[in-house]
Amino acid sequence: MTTPDVHMLTGPYVLNALPEDERIGFEAHLADCSSCSAEVAELREAATKLGTAVAVPPPPALKARVLAEIATTRQLPPLVRDPEPRPVDELAQRRYSRRSVFGLAAAALAVAGAGGIAVDQYRDNQRTERQNEQLAALLSQPDAKTARGEVAGGGQATVVMSAGQDRAIVLLHGLAKLPDGKTYQLWLQDRSEAMHSAGIAGPDDTKLIQGGITDKIALGITVENTPGVPAPTQAPAALVPMV
Amino acid sequence: MSVTEESMALPWPVVTGPGGTTPAELMARVARGDSDAFTQLYDQMAPRVFGLIRRVLRNPAQSEEVTQEVMVEVWRTATRYDADRGSPTSWILTMAHRRAIDRVRSEQSSSDREQAVAAASTTPAYDEVSEAVTTNLEVEQVRHCLSALTELQRESVTLAYYGGYSYREVAELLDAKLATIKARMRDGLIRLRDCLGVTGK
Repeated sequence: MTTPDVHMLTGPYVLNALPEDERIGFEAHLADCSSCSAEVAELREAATKLGTAVAVPPPPALKARVLAEIATTRQLPPLVRDPEPRPVDELAQRRYSRRSVFGLAAAALAVAGAGGIAVDQYRDNQRTERQNEQLAALLSQPDAKTARGEVAGGGQATVVMSAGQDRAIVLLHGLAKLPDGKTYQLWLQDRSEAMHSAGIAGPDDTKLIQGGITDKIALGITVENTPGVPAPTQAPAALVPMV
Repeated sequence: MSVTEESMALPWPVVTGPGGTTPAELMARVARGDSDAFTQLYDQMAPRVFGLIRRVLRNPAQSEEVTQEVMVEVWRTATRYDADRGSPTSWILTMAHRRAIDRVRSEQSSSDREQAVAAASTTPAYDEVSEAVTTNLEVEQVRHCLSALTELQRESVTLAYYGGYSYREVAELLDAKLATIKARMRDGLIRLRDCLGVTGK
Protein backbone atom coordinates (compact mmCIF):
# COMPACT_ATOMS: atom_id res chain seq x y z
CA MET A 1 0.00 0.00 0.00
CA THR A 2 1.62 3.21 -1.10
CA THR A 3 -1.18 5.75 -1.04
CA PRO A 4 -0.12 9.00 0.60
CA ASP A 5 -2.68 8.72 3.39
CA VAL A 6 -1.57 5.27 4.51
CA HIS A 7 -0.37 6.68 7.83
CA MET A 8 -3.88 7.97 8.49
CA LEU A 9 -4.99 4.36 8.74
CA THR A 10 -3.54 3.92 12.23
CA GLY A 11 -6.80 5.40 13.60
CA PRO A 12 -9.29 3.19 11.75
CA TYR A 13 -6.96 0.21 12.23
CA VAL A 14 -6.87 0.55 16.00
CA LEU A 15 -10.66 0.97 16.06
CA ASN A 16 -11.02 -2.20 13.93
CA ALA A 17 -12.84 -0.07 11.37
CA LEU A 18 -10.93 -1.27 8.29
CA PRO A 19 -12.47 -3.81 5.93
CA GLU A 20 -10.53 -7.08 5.77
CA ASP A 21 -8.56 -6.34 2.61
CA GLU A 22 -7.49 -2.88 3.76
CA ARG A 23 -6.52 -4.31 7.12
CA ILE A 24 -4.28 -6.87 5.45
CA GLY A 25 -2.72 -4.16 3.29
CA PHE A 26 -2.14 -1.92 6.27
CA GLU A 27 -0.63 -4.71 8.34
CA ALA A 28 1.78 -5.37 5.49
CA HIS A 29 2.75 -1.70 5.65
CA LEU A 30 2.95 -1.85 9.44
CA ALA A 31 5.61 -4.54 9.26
CA ASP A 32 7.94 -2.07 7.54
CA CYS A 33 6.95 1.15 9.27
CA SER A 34 8.30 1.41 12.80
CA SER A 35 6.77 4.85 13.40
CA CYS A 36 3.36 3.41 12.44
CA SER A 37 3.80 0.47 14.83
CA ALA A 38 4.70 2.81 17.66
CA GLU A 39 1.68 4.96 16.91
CA VAL A 40 -0.58 1.91 16.74
CA ALA A 41 0.67 0.77 20.16
CA GLU A 42 -0.03 4.17 21.71
CA LEU A 43 -3.42 4.66 20.11
CA ARG A 44 -4.36 1.14 21.12
CA GLU A 45 -3.73 2.01 24.76
CA ALA A 46 -6.03 5.03 24.31
CA ALA A 47 -8.73 2.85 22.72
CA THR A 48 -8.30 0.38 25.60
CA LYS A 49 -9.35 3.14 27.99
CA LEU A 50 -12.57 3.49 26.02
CA GLY A 51 -13.11 -0.21 26.54
CA THR A 52 -12.31 -0.08 30.24
CA ALA A 53 -14.79 2.76 30.66
CA VAL A 54 -17.77 0.53 29.89
CA ALA A 55 -16.83 -2.36 32.20
CA VAL A 56 -19.70 -4.37 33.66
CA PRO A 57 -19.39 -7.43 35.93
CA PRO A 58 -20.20 -10.56 33.93
CA PRO A 59 -22.66 -13.12 35.29
CA PRO A 60 -20.85 -15.18 37.96
CA ALA A 61 -21.66 -18.47 36.23
CA LEU A 62 -19.45 -17.44 33.34
CA LYS A 63 -16.36 -17.72 35.50
CA ALA A 64 -17.01 -21.37 36.28
CA ARG A 65 -17.54 -22.10 32.58
CA VAL A 66 -14.31 -20.38 31.59
CA LEU A 67 -12.29 -22.09 34.32
CA ALA A 68 -13.74 -25.46 33.34
CA GLU A 69 -12.82 -24.86 29.71
CA ILE A 70 -9.24 -23.77 30.39
CA ALA A 71 -8.76 -26.88 32.51
CA THR A 72 -9.15 -28.91 29.32
CA THR A 73 -7.41 -26.49 26.94
CA ARG A 74 -3.77 -26.89 26.06
CA GLN A 75 -1.76 -23.67 25.75
CA LEU A 76 0.09 -22.83 22.56
CA PRO A 77 3.83 -23.27 22.56
CA PRO A 78 5.64 -19.92 22.59
CA LEU A 79 6.81 -18.55 19.26
CA VAL A 80 10.47 -19.15 18.63
CA ARG A 81 11.54 -16.13 16.67
CA ASP A 82 12.77 -16.90 13.20
CA PRO A 83 13.37 -13.92 10.96
CA GLU A 84 14.20 -16.05 7.92
CA PRO A 85 11.31 -16.66 5.52
CA ARG A 86 10.42 -20.32 5.40
CA PRO A 87 11.86 -22.16 2.41
CA VAL A 88 9.35 -23.39 -0.12
CA ASP A 89 8.31 -26.89 0.81
CA GLU A 90 10.28 -28.95 -1.67
CA LEU A 91 8.35 -32.10 -1.02
CA ALA A 92 5.08 -30.35 -1.82
CA GLN A 93 6.62 -29.02 -5.02
CA ARG A 94 7.81 -32.43 -6.12
CA ARG A 95 4.45 -33.89 -5.31
CA TYR A 96 2.90 -31.17 -7.42
CA SER A 97 4.91 -31.96 -10.52
CA ARG A 98 4.30 -35.67 -10.12
CA ARG A 99 0.60 -35.20 -9.94
CA SER A 100 0.43 -32.64 -12.70
CA VAL A 101 -2.67 -34.34 -14.04
CA PHE A 102 -4.54 -32.76 -11.17
CA GLY A 103 -3.05 -29.41 -12.06
CA LEU A 104 -3.01 -26.78 -9.44
CA ALA A 105 -5.74 -28.46 -7.43
CA ALA A 106 -3.10 -30.86 -6.16
CA ALA A 107 -0.95 -28.03 -4.94
CA ALA A 108 -3.71 -25.96 -3.42
CA LEU A 109 -3.46 -26.60 0.29
CA ALA A 110 -6.71 -26.28 2.12
CA VAL A 111 -6.39 -23.96 5.07
CA ALA A 112 -9.45 -23.56 7.25
CA GLY A 113 -10.90 -20.33 8.53
CA ALA A 114 -10.77 -16.71 7.61
CA GLY A 115 -7.62 -14.74 6.85
CA GLY A 116 -5.37 -12.88 9.18
CA ILE A 117 -1.75 -12.06 9.57
CA ALA A 118 0.95 -12.70 12.12
CA VAL A 119 2.57 -9.26 12.24
CA ASP A 120 -0.07 -8.47 14.79
CA GLN A 121 0.04 -10.61 17.90
CA TYR A 122 -3.58 -9.88 18.72
CA ARG A 123 -4.82 -11.83 15.77
CA ASP A 124 -3.38 -15.16 16.86
CA ASN A 125 -5.79 -17.99 17.19
CA GLN A 126 -5.96 -21.60 16.29
CA ARG A 127 -7.88 -21.18 13.06
CA THR A 128 -5.68 -18.52 11.58
CA GLU A 129 -2.22 -19.27 12.88
CA ARG A 130 -0.99 -21.36 10.04
CA GLN A 131 -2.22 -19.18 7.22
CA ASN A 132 -1.14 -16.10 9.13
CA GLU A 133 2.42 -17.34 9.01
CA GLN A 134 2.11 -18.15 5.34
CA LEU A 135 0.53 -14.81 4.59
CA ALA A 136 3.13 -12.91 6.57
CA ALA A 137 5.92 -14.75 4.78
CA LEU A 138 4.34 -13.93 1.45
CA LEU A 139 3.68 -10.29 2.27
CA SER A 140 7.26 -9.91 3.44
CA GLN A 141 8.46 -10.69 -0.09
CA PRO A 142 9.71 -7.55 -1.87
CA ASP A 143 7.57 -8.31 -4.94
CA ALA A 144 4.36 -9.09 -3.00
CA LYS A 145 1.25 -7.71 -4.68
CA THR A 146 -2.36 -7.60 -3.59
CA ALA A 147 -5.42 -7.51 -5.84
CA ARG A 148 -9.04 -7.65 -4.94
CA GLY A 149 -12.43 -7.89 -6.56
CA GLU A 150 -16.10 -8.16 -5.74
CA VAL A 151 -17.82 -11.50 -6.10
CA ALA A 152 -21.23 -11.62 -7.79
CA GLY A 153 -23.77 -12.46 -5.11
CA GLY A 154 -21.77 -10.71 -2.40
CA GLY A 155 -18.38 -10.76 -0.73
CA GLN A 156 -14.84 -10.07 -1.82
CA ALA A 157 -11.89 -12.04 -3.08
CA THR A 158 -8.38 -10.84 -2.26
CA VAL A 159 -5.28 -12.33 -3.85
CA VAL A 160 -1.87 -11.82 -2.28
CA MET A 161 0.87 -13.08 -4.56
CA SER A 162 4.60 -13.16 -5.09
CA ALA A 163 5.96 -14.07 -8.51
CA GLY A 164 9.41 -14.66 -6.98
CA GLN A 165 7.99 -17.25 -4.59
CA ASP A 166 5.53 -18.51 -7.17
CA ARG A 167 2.90 -18.53 -4.48
CA ALA A 168 -0.42 -16.87 -3.94
CA ILE A 169 -2.89 -16.78 -1.10
CA VAL A 170 -6.55 -16.26 -1.88
CA LEU A 171 -8.76 -14.81 0.84
CA LEU A 172 -12.50 -15.10 0.40
CA HIS A 173 -14.61 -13.01 2.66
CA GLY A 174 -18.36 -12.85 3.03
CA LEU A 175 -19.33 -14.84 -0.04
CA ALA A 176 -22.90 -16.08 -0.20
CA LYS A 177 -23.52 -19.44 1.44
CA LEU A 178 -24.28 -22.04 -1.21
CA PRO A 179 -27.05 -24.64 -1.16
CA ASP A 180 -26.03 -28.26 -0.60
CA GLY A 181 -24.24 -29.81 -3.54
CA LYS A 182 -22.88 -26.54 -4.88
CA THR A 183 -19.38 -25.32 -4.21
CA TYR A 184 -17.05 -22.47 -5.04
CA GLN A 185 -14.11 -23.41 -7.22
CA LEU A 186 -11.02 -21.29 -7.79
CA TRP A 187 -9.31 -20.96 -11.16
CA LEU A 188 -6.16 -19.39 -12.50
CA GLN A 189 -6.50 -17.93 -15.96
CA ASP A 190 -3.49 -18.04 -18.28
CA ARG A 191 -2.66 -15.72 -21.14
CA SER A 192 -4.64 -17.80 -23.61
CA GLU A 193 -7.61 -17.35 -21.23
CA ALA A 194 -7.63 -21.04 -20.36
CA MET A 195 -8.73 -21.76 -16.77
CA HIS A 196 -6.71 -24.04 -14.49
CA SER A 197 -8.36 -25.35 -11.35
CA ALA A 198 -6.90 -24.16 -8.05
CA GLY A 199 -9.20 -26.14 -5.83
CA ILE A 200 -12.53 -25.67 -4.12
CA ALA A 201 -13.27 -23.13 -1.41
CA GLY A 202 -15.85 -22.15 1.17
CA PRO A 203 -17.61 -18.77 1.38
CA ASP A 204 -15.12 -17.50 4.01
CA ASP A 205 -11.92 -19.26 3.23
CA THR A 206 -8.20 -18.88 2.79
CA LYS A 207 -6.32 -20.90 0.20
CA LEU A 208 -2.63 -21.20 -0.47
CA ILE A 209 -1.71 -21.78 -4.09
CA GLN A 210 1.82 -22.97 -4.51
CA GLY A 211 3.33 -22.98 -7.99
CA GLY A 212 1.90 -22.07 -11.36
CA ILE A 213 1.36 -18.42 -10.48
CA THR A 214 3.84 -16.58 -12.65
CA ASP A 215 2.19 -17.02 -16.05
CA LYS A 216 -1.35 -16.43 -14.83
CA ILE A 217 -3.28 -13.24 -15.42
CA ALA A 218 -6.38 -13.58 -13.28
CA LEU A 219 -8.08 -15.46 -10.46
CA GLY A 220 -11.53 -16.75 -11.34
CA ILE A 221 -14.25 -18.05 -9.04
CA THR A 222 -17.18 -20.15 -10.22
CA VAL A 223 -20.08 -21.83 -8.49
CA GLU A 224 -19.97 -25.48 -9.53
CA ASN A 225 -22.50 -28.25 -9.14
CA THR A 226 -19.77 -30.88 -8.94
CA PRO A 227 -16.75 -30.19 -6.77
CA GLY A 228 -13.43 -30.22 -8.55
CA VAL A 229 -14.52 -30.17 -12.18
CA PRO A 230 -11.53 -30.02 -14.59
CA ALA A 231 -12.83 -26.94 -16.40
CA PRO A 232 -15.37 -24.30 -15.40
CA THR A 233 -18.95 -25.18 -16.32
CA GLN A 234 -20.33 -21.83 -15.19
CA ALA A 235 -19.57 -18.18 -15.91
CA PRO A 236 -17.20 -16.74 -13.30
CA ALA A 237 -18.76 -15.06 -10.26
CA ALA A 238 -15.52 -13.09 -10.04
CA LEU A 239 -12.46 -12.55 -12.17
CA VAL A 240 -9.72 -10.71 -10.32
CA PRO A 241 -6.88 -9.45 -12.52
CA MET A 242 -3.48 -10.48 -11.15
CA VAL A 243 -1.32 -8.36 -13.42
CA MET B 1 -27.33 -6.85 36.36
CA SER B 2 -27.20 -8.28 39.86
CA VAL B 3 -24.12 -7.64 41.88
CA THR B 4 -22.99 -10.81 43.54
CA GLU B 5 -20.86 -11.29 46.59
CA GLU B 6 -18.11 -12.46 44.38
CA SER B 7 -17.98 -9.29 42.34
CA MET B 8 -18.38 -7.22 45.51
CA ALA B 9 -15.30 -8.92 46.86
CA LEU B 10 -13.43 -7.89 43.77
CA PRO B 11 -15.00 -4.58 42.83
CA TRP B 12 -14.35 -3.29 39.36
CA PRO B 13 -11.86 -2.11 38.33
CA VAL B 14 -9.23 -4.02 40.19
CA VAL B 15 -5.96 -2.71 38.87
CA THR B 16 -4.02 -4.85 41.26
CA GLY B 17 -5.24 -7.97 42.96
CA PRO B 18 -4.64 -9.08 46.54
CA GLY B 19 -1.00 -8.65 47.36
CA GLY B 20 -0.65 -6.04 44.59
CA THR B 21 -0.36 -8.49 41.70
CA THR B 22 -0.36 -6.58 38.43
CA PRO B 23 -1.80 -7.92 35.18
CA ALA B 24 1.74 -8.09 33.76
CA GLU B 25 2.91 -10.34 36.60
CA LEU B 26 -0.17 -12.49 36.25
CA MET B 27 0.32 -12.81 32.48
CA ALA B 28 3.83 -14.13 32.98
CA ARG B 29 2.51 -16.79 35.36
CA VAL B 30 -0.43 -17.64 33.11
CA ALA B 31 2.00 -18.17 30.25
CA ARG B 32 3.65 -20.86 32.35
CA GLY B 33 0.34 -22.62 32.87
CA ASP B 34 -0.56 -21.27 36.32
CA SER B 35 -4.33 -21.58 36.55
CA ASP B 36 -4.52 -19.75 39.90
CA ALA B 37 -2.92 -16.76 38.24
CA PHE B 38 -5.46 -17.09 35.45
CA THR B 39 -8.30 -17.01 37.98
CA GLN B 40 -6.95 -13.73 39.34
CA LEU B 41 -6.48 -12.37 35.85
CA TYR B 42 -10.05 -13.35 35.07
CA ASP B 43 -11.31 -11.39 38.06
CA GLN B 44 -9.40 -8.33 36.93
CA MET B 45 -10.19 -8.53 33.23
CA ALA B 46 -13.56 -10.22 32.75
CA PRO B 47 -15.63 -7.11 33.64
CA ARG B 48 -13.78 -5.09 31.04
CA VAL B 49 -13.98 -7.80 28.42
CA PHE B 50 -17.66 -8.45 29.06
CA GLY B 51 -18.54 -4.76 29.30
CA LEU B 52 -16.87 -3.91 26.01
CA ILE B 53 -18.31 -6.88 24.16
CA ARG B 54 -21.78 -6.18 25.49
CA ARG B 55 -21.43 -2.54 24.51
CA VAL B 56 -20.76 -3.56 20.91
CA LEU B 57 -23.05 -6.59 20.58
CA ARG B 58 -25.87 -5.57 22.96
CA ASN B 59 -27.18 -9.13 23.10
CA PRO B 60 -26.35 -10.50 26.59
CA ALA B 61 -26.26 -14.17 25.62
CA GLN B 62 -23.98 -13.54 22.64
CA SER B 63 -21.82 -11.30 24.80
CA GLU B 64 -21.33 -14.03 27.36
CA GLU B 65 -20.43 -16.48 24.64
CA VAL B 66 -17.86 -14.17 23.08
CA THR B 67 -16.46 -13.25 26.51
CA GLN B 68 -15.91 -16.94 27.21
CA GLU B 69 -14.16 -17.36 23.86
CA VAL B 70 -11.90 -14.40 24.55
CA MET B 71 -10.96 -15.45 28.08
CA VAL B 72 -10.15 -18.98 26.94
CA GLU B 73 -8.11 -17.47 24.11
CA VAL B 74 -6.20 -15.40 26.67
CA TRP B 75 -5.29 -18.63 28.45
CA ARG B 76 -4.40 -20.44 25.25
CA THR B 77 -2.26 -17.71 23.71
CA ALA B 78 -0.73 -16.19 26.86
CA THR B 79 2.50 -17.87 25.76
CA ARG B 80 2.51 -15.60 22.70
CA TYR B 81 1.90 -12.35 24.55
CA ASP B 82 4.74 -9.91 24.00
CA ALA B 83 5.03 -7.26 26.70
CA ASP B 84 7.10 -5.06 24.40
CA ARG B 85 4.09 -4.52 22.20
CA GLY B 86 1.53 -3.34 24.71
CA SER B 87 0.04 -3.83 28.16
CA PRO B 88 -1.86 -7.02 29.01
CA THR B 89 -5.05 -4.99 29.37
CA SER B 90 -4.61 -3.61 25.89
CA TRP B 91 -3.77 -7.03 24.48
CA ILE B 92 -6.86 -8.60 26.04
CA LEU B 93 -9.26 -5.77 25.19
CA THR B 94 -7.98 -5.61 21.62
CA MET B 95 -8.76 -9.30 21.30
CA ALA B 96 -12.19 -8.74 22.87
CA HIS B 97 -12.99 -5.84 20.55
CA ARG B 98 -11.93 -7.79 17.48
CA ARG B 99 -14.01 -10.78 18.42
CA ALA B 100 -17.01 -8.53 18.96
CA ILE B 101 -16.45 -6.79 15.62
CA ASP B 102 -15.94 -10.13 13.86
CA ARG B 103 -19.29 -11.23 15.25
CA VAL B 104 -20.96 -8.03 14.04
CA ARG B 105 -19.46 -8.36 10.56
CA SER B 106 -20.22 -12.05 10.19
CA GLU B 107 -23.83 -11.36 11.10
CA GLN B 108 -23.87 -8.62 8.53
CA SER B 109 -22.54 -10.91 5.85
CA SER B 110 -25.10 -13.57 6.71
CA SER B 111 -27.63 -10.87 5.82
CA ASP B 112 -28.47 -10.27 9.44
CA ARG B 113 -27.48 -6.72 8.78
CA GLU B 114 -30.69 -5.20 10.01
CA GLN B 115 -30.29 -6.77 13.40
CA ALA B 116 -26.72 -5.57 13.72
CA VAL B 117 -27.65 -2.06 12.69
CA ALA B 118 -30.56 -2.01 15.10
CA ALA B 119 -28.27 -3.25 17.86
CA ALA B 120 -25.81 -0.46 17.29
CA SER B 121 -28.10 2.33 16.20
CA THR B 122 -28.64 3.75 19.65
CA THR B 123 -25.53 5.70 19.01
CA PRO B 124 -22.91 5.74 21.73
CA ALA B 125 -23.12 9.28 22.99
CA TYR B 126 -20.18 9.85 25.26
CA ASP B 127 -22.60 10.32 28.15
CA GLU B 128 -23.20 6.65 27.92
CA VAL B 129 -19.62 5.93 28.87
CA SER B 130 -20.56 6.59 32.44
CA GLU B 131 -23.60 4.32 32.26
CA ALA B 132 -22.04 1.38 34.03
CA VAL B 133 -19.82 2.90 36.66
CA THR B 134 -19.83 6.55 37.60
CA THR B 135 -17.70 6.53 40.70
CA ASN B 136 -14.47 5.62 39.07
CA LEU B 137 -11.80 8.19 38.35
CA GLU B 138 -10.63 6.46 35.24
CA VAL B 139 -14.13 6.56 33.79
CA GLU B 140 -14.45 10.23 34.65
CA GLN B 141 -11.17 10.87 32.93
CA VAL B 142 -12.27 9.07 29.75
CA ARG B 143 -15.50 11.02 29.78
CA HIS B 144 -13.68 14.27 30.25
CA CYS B 145 -11.22 13.50 27.48
CA LEU B 146 -13.97 12.46 25.08
CA SER B 147 -15.73 15.75 25.70
CA ALA B 148 -12.53 17.55 24.75
CA LEU B 149 -12.69 16.15 21.21
CA THR B 150 -14.46 17.91 18.36
CA GLU B 151 -17.88 16.48 17.67
CA LEU B 152 -16.73 14.84 14.45
CA GLN B 153 -13.69 13.29 16.15
CA ARG B 154 -15.79 11.99 18.99
CA GLU B 155 -18.49 10.55 16.77
CA SER B 156 -15.98 8.98 14.41
CA VAL B 157 -14.16 7.28 17.27
CA THR B 158 -17.20 6.15 19.25
CA LEU B 159 -19.27 4.97 16.28
CA ALA B 160 -16.37 2.78 15.23
CA TYR B 161 -15.34 1.57 18.67
CA TYR B 162 -18.65 1.17 20.48
CA GLY B 163 -20.90 0.92 17.43
CA GLY B 164 -18.71 -1.56 15.58
CA TYR B 165 -18.98 0.33 12.29
CA SER B 166 -16.36 0.36 9.55
CA TYR B 167 -14.98 3.75 8.58
CA ARG B 168 -17.07 3.64 5.41
CA GLU B 169 -20.22 3.10 7.44
CA VAL B 170 -19.21 5.88 9.81
CA ALA B 171 -18.66 8.21 6.85
CA GLU B 172 -22.13 7.32 5.60
CA LEU B 173 -23.74 7.94 8.98
CA LEU B 174 -21.95 11.25 9.46
CA ASP B 175 -22.29 12.27 5.83
CA ALA B 176 -18.58 12.97 5.56
CA LYS B 177 -15.80 12.07 3.13
CA LEU B 178 -13.90 8.82 3.70
CA ALA B 179 -10.57 10.62 4.00
CA THR B 180 -12.05 12.99 6.57
CA ILE B 181 -13.35 10.16 8.71
CA LYS B 182 -10.03 8.28 8.59
CA ALA B 183 -8.24 11.46 9.64
CA ARG B 184 -10.73 12.24 12.44
CA MET B 185 -10.40 8.70 13.82
CA ARG B 186 -6.67 9.16 13.97
CA ASP B 187 -6.50 12.69 15.35
CA GLY B 188 -9.35 11.92 17.76
CA LEU B 189 -7.38 8.99 19.17
CA ILE B 190 -4.20 11.07 19.29
CA ARG B 191 -6.00 13.71 21.29
CA LEU B 192 -7.41 11.05 23.59
CA ARG B 193 -3.96 9.54 24.05
CA ASP B 194 -2.52 12.92 24.98
CA CYS B 195 -5.39 13.73 27.30
CA LEU B 196 -5.27 10.33 29.01
CA GLY B 197 -1.48 10.31 29.19
CA VAL B 198 -1.12 6.77 27.91
CA THR B 199 1.93 5.34 26.19
CA GLY B 200 2.42 2.29 24.04
CA LYS B 201 4.51 0.42 26.56
